[in-house]
Amino acid sequence: MQGSSLRRGSIAGLTAGSGSALPALLLVGLFFIVPVVALLLRSVTDPEPGLQNYAALFGSGTYVRVFLNTFLVAAVVTAVTILVAFPVAWMLAIMPPAYGSIVFGIIILSMWTNLLTRTYAWMVLLQRTGVINRTLMGLGIIQEPLPLINNLAGVTIGMVYIMLPFMILPLVGTLRAIDPMTLRAAALCGASPFQAFRRILLPLSLPGIAAGGLMVFVMSLGYFVTPALLGGTSNMMLAEMIAQTVQSLLNWGLGSAAAFVLLVITMALYALQLRLVGARRTGGGL
Amino acid sequence: MKLILTGLLAGLLAATAARADEMVFTSWGGTTQEAQTKSWAAPFEASSGIKVLQDGPTDYGKLKAMVDAKNVTWDVVDVEMDFAIKAAKDGLLEPIDFAVVPKADLDPRFSNDHAVGSFYYSFVLAWNKGSVSGEPASWADMFDTKKFPGKRTFYKWSAPGVIEIALLADGVPADKLYPLDLDRAFKKLDTIKSDIVWWGGGAESQQLIASGEATFGQLWNGRVFALQQDGTDVGVSWNQNLTAADVLVVPKGAKNKDSAMKFLAAATSPTGQAKFAEASGYAPINTKAKGEMPAEVVKGLPDAHVDGQINLDMNYWAEHRDEIATRWYAWQTK
Repeated sequence: MQGSSLRRGSIAGLTAGSGSALPALLLVGLFFIVPVVALLLRSVTDPEPGLQNYAALFGSGTYVRVFLNTFLVAAVVTAVTILVAFPVAWMLAIMPPAYGSIVFGIIILSMWTNLLTRTYAWMVLLQRTGVINRTLMGLGIIQEPLPLINNLAGVTIGMVYIMLPFMILPLVGTLRAIDPMTLRAAALCGASPFQAFRRILLPLSLPGIAAGGLMVFVMSLGYFVTPALLGGTSNMMLAEMIAQTVQSLLNWGLGSAAAFVLLVITMALYALQLRLVGARRTGGGL
Repeated sequence: MKLILTGLLAGLLAATAARADEMVFTSWGGTTQEAQTKSWAAPFEASSGIKVLQDGPTDYGKLKAMVDAKNVTWDVVDVEMDFAIKAAKDGLLEPIDFAVVPKADLDPRFSNDHAVGSFYYSFVLAWNKGSVSGEPASWADMFDTKKFPGKRTFYKWSAPGVIEIALLADGVPADKLYPLDLDRAFKKLDTIKSDIVWWGGGAESQQLIASGEATFGQLWNGRVFALQQDGTDVGVSWNQNLTAADVLVVPKGAKNKDSAMKFLAAATSPTGQAKFAEASGYAPINTKAKGEMPAEVVKGLPDAHVDGQINLDMNYWAEHRDEIATRWYAWQTK
């Protein structure tokens, strides 16, 4: 109750905070809002005023396919990232802090290494003549090299690896805030570990999953390097397509239109998620 | 306060003064730009006193944005020739001042009113000797998955080369390539689509072949040359080698146009071209350059393989660039 009355604070409360937020707002306004508006304008004025860029975009099977691909890849990456990150985050949440900080350090450390380097490292591991395939073939487990690169599998492996910290960090925060006694109470009431997970832990960690999941999904939508190097052309993602359209074909109008549509869809998803999580929270909290 | 202002003013003046004998050269980075810096920029700086700043990589979108915004920070740019022809038509380039740049000895295939050759190269068929049994002899062999199983690697982007290779492999005679029959080319490419690994840049093409990840592929001859220099066991077929060129252009409104023209004169001189060719394995566009090169190096140039050599039609590509690209990406992403 106290929380909600704070959130609905007086006008005075709102404006008191806005003074210190002003530099940040200016920064966002200048370096985000202005370019986005310029992008939108470009998409309806280049080469001539009108909606022809959008017509070309939706009329082109190529772009529609690349859009669908982009969302498919982002969805797969997000789902796999959640599955991998959850156990790690849970372990971090219940570990003694001394060990926890070591594991945390390892996770953060991977983020300090250059993205391109990490992606090339995956190429060396995943290719037909790479470490993984050679080892498996040497052990006689497989006869033919597994297709791990230049396809959806390659993109997913490479991107999940990069996205993991962005999922683990918010999730650990949420999981740490859960009172372990609730799980013990569930066990005492006769819940199996799976029931305790499904009915207690999962619902309570949902805000963390949603926050991390959205971040991973949105970041994945705009990813460039990793899909370009680990994916095949049939999984081409939008960022690469836009880069080609602008850099090589010099079609700024079409490129802007594609970027703008992606932005609108992303914002719509964000709004949807806010509604869903918001509803869930009030429903579940009581 | 006054002191600071005076200091600022002096600094500004110094900066503008420095600008007068500075210029910016932009190319693709990597071993190619290193060779250009060593063979062209360094001697040019010594003889002219004009400092050459390096930038890169070349980005056509950025070039257009600079010209559109009338804030051009590049003075000489290394671009692909089909782009240069289209860019000149779109008004993005300064005409070359042939009063400064001697034209007589330039290979007419690779120079025009708005561009002078940078170097020229051939697409050749290269293979990893360790993973191919037998020797592929022609582009047609790249489409024969029974005789030559394994992955083959081609240039990823819509550019002169792959379409022509598919048509040649399908039996189109070299002198009947243009206008390109895109339907026929894509149909031919369909037959090996799942066996293709694409390379997006020169280093990637070398890595694919050297590691045996792709057994053979369509490579730039300079990249094969570098692999062989490194002792990699790579085979190469010059049969039906396809020539294309990089050219040097001056973006419209370049701030140091006069210096840029002088730089072009030095870069396209017999000596500049000979030195660059020696360092890179790419071919000189100055017909006098070979006289200044060791016979050993001349043997490895595309010039030594004119028999069966095919010149990719840059004018055709400049004309149909967008149309082909649309088809290309539609096919590739399918």
